[in-house]
Amino acid sequence: MPKQQRIRDPLHDLIQFDVERSQLEGVLWRVLQTRPFQRLRRIKQLGFSDFVYPGATHSRLLHSVGVFHTARRLMRVIEKYLPAKDARVDQALAAALVHDLGHGPFSHAFEKIGERFDLKMANHEAVSDMLIRNGEVSDVLRDMGSGFANDVADMVSGSGTPTIYSAVVSSQFDADRLDYMRRDRLMVGSQHAGIDFEWLVENLEVGEVQHGVDETSLKPVQTFVLGRKAIFAAEAYVLGLFQLYPTVYFHKATRGAEKIYTELLTRTITLIKDGSIEKTGLPKTHPLVKFAQTPDNIDCALSLDDTVIWGGLSLMADSNDKWIGSLAERLRDRKLYKCIDVRAKIAHDKDDGAASSSEADEVCAGVRDEIVKCLDEWSAKSPDEPPRILIDEVERSPYKELTEGAKGPLSQINIRTEGNHLADLSKRSNVVAALKTYKAFRLYHADGDEEARRKVMEIVDAGISKWPA
Amino acid sequence: MAGIDYAHGAAAIVRDAGGHIVGRTKFQKIAFFLEAAGVGSGFPFRYKHYGPYSELLAAAAQHAAALRLIVENESVAAWGGQYSTFYTQMPADPSMHPARARLAQEMANADAVELELAATAAFLAYERFPDPWAETARRKPEKAEGGRLERAKQLYLRLQQIPAPHQLPAI
Repeated sequence: MPKQQRIRDPLHDLIQFDVERSQLEGVLWRVLQTRPFQRLRRIKQLGFSDFVYPGATHSRLLHSVGVFHTARRLMRVIEKYLPAKDARVDQALAAALVHDLGHGPFSHAFEKIGERFDLKMANHEAVSDMLIRNGEVSDVLRDMGSGFANDVADMVSGSGTPTIYSAVVSSQFDADRLDYMRRDRLMVGSQHAGIDFEWLVENLEVGEVQHGVDETSLKPVQTFVLGRKAIFAAEAYVLGLFQLYPTVYFHKATRGAEKIYTELLTRTITLIKDGSIEKTGLPKTHPLVKFAQTPDNIDCALSLDDTVIWGGLSLMADSNDKWIGSLAERLRDRKLYKCIDVRAKIAHDKDDGAASSSEADEVCAGVRDEIVKCLDEWSAKSPDEPPRILIDEVERSPYKELTEGAKGPLSQINIRTEGNHLADLSKRSNVVAALKTYKAFRLYHADGDEEARRKVMEIVDAGISKWPA
Repeated sequence: MAGIDYAHGAAAIVRDAGGHIVGRTKFQKIAFFLEAAGVGSGFPFRYKHYGPYSELLAAAAQHAAALRLIVENESVAAWGGQYSTFYTQMPADPSMHPARARLAQEMANADAVELELAATAAFLAYERFPDPWAETARRKPEKAEGGRLERAKQLYLRLQQIPAPHQLPAI
């Protein structure tokens, strides 16, 4: 019997790599053994979510394997419509496996720090691109052909014309989302946000949709669409994802921990860059110190993971810098700041529908500006004290988050109608049509800092009292 | 959401483009070229699917809309999607560098895809790609076809010829 490499997975059960009969799977199995991929064992998929859901400690390594497994399922859908062998099948499967290689410790929170300091190696897309094109992973991928690693990197970055193969890696029904939605739900232990995965996949079709940039039309492209019998499964899929945001990804405690982490690392990196390493509590050889000193070095970025940060917290807690000492201790011992949910207060003071209205947006923007002014004043008086108020603003539309370009068929879920044309899900589902963008605006203050709490309440109350006409 | 200064910065881009900008892509690329020319509002850019993109600008535009510095209206395109048009009535800034309005208005009148191609090529030039136009065509084949790449080069030349504090790279 041909040799299979096997992984047991709590979500998919048995995931096999046919290393003898499939050249691609043999190569990808070797990618799994590389240092960049093994590093993903030490990066949790959900960052600080285990502060709220203690079971949510799953790694990006297993998620990545799960995405590859799911991508294979999606390829079987494509093969029904496009049976001819296409080089992009292998590229997309490899891209599914390596798409998360560049994530840093606590993933998205780390990216925020990178934005503050303009650190290219804190941007997971840039790091993934480098790791796939050059180095150990690239060396293994080149066994599939000299240009294969670059083709995979292009597939991950989304370069090139959107195709049905790139839809496996990035679309409304990409393998990434189909894995993380189910895996995250399983690991947090939630009973909501379930999706009818098998029915969705069974009813996936390849369809041709229009797309464009702003008002300019481009040629139609192929992407995944759903058959008409999947309309309720599609509805549950949109709702499930939508529910995961307030309950898991944007949970107030998780976000509160991320904010503390961001401020802790911001201060640490600032001191290191200023040459005051000794104030951080970390030794000169610590990977975070090396990263801050040489942020463009990919090896320094590769040396960072969640465990490096966790291991450093007790050292930083002993720092003689009050900012670092107090925030490291808070993170280590889960002593988080207290949360004041501004939009919840708006709902309470006005009405439930007001919380996500444009009037609330205006109030929140004004409150935010007042809080920033207040923080600037406090910071000028006590520059070495940690921020006394942390701000969290976040929103998520029911569909895929849009960053640029126009909303259109390529970024929506399309259902095939009885008349054999494609309709946006929101035109066929009253439930989906009624969904509004989820928005949160929270302010956090240290427990016991009564002055900060009072100041927040004063600014918030003043903001709400100026409710726009 | 970005700070109030950035919200004003985002609204000022719409103002200097003639009071309105059609499309998020065009808004982003106008802001990118203003930064490149040294007459920007301080927005940092990274490479995304549509070329150079600033998350801070996207957040600032939202903040500006919340503060009613700009108005964002959505329309349906011929291809079935929706696109945004941004408007502002912000008063003119007499201290503004003259290159800023000339650049912004030239881009506001350009085709969105051609502007995206030109911005992508410029970004890749800063990233030291030896042939930024060839790399742009490789990354965006469906957008580069139909003579768009050539027209993007002509647009780029027109932008380059506008005297500005920073010369756009020769590509």
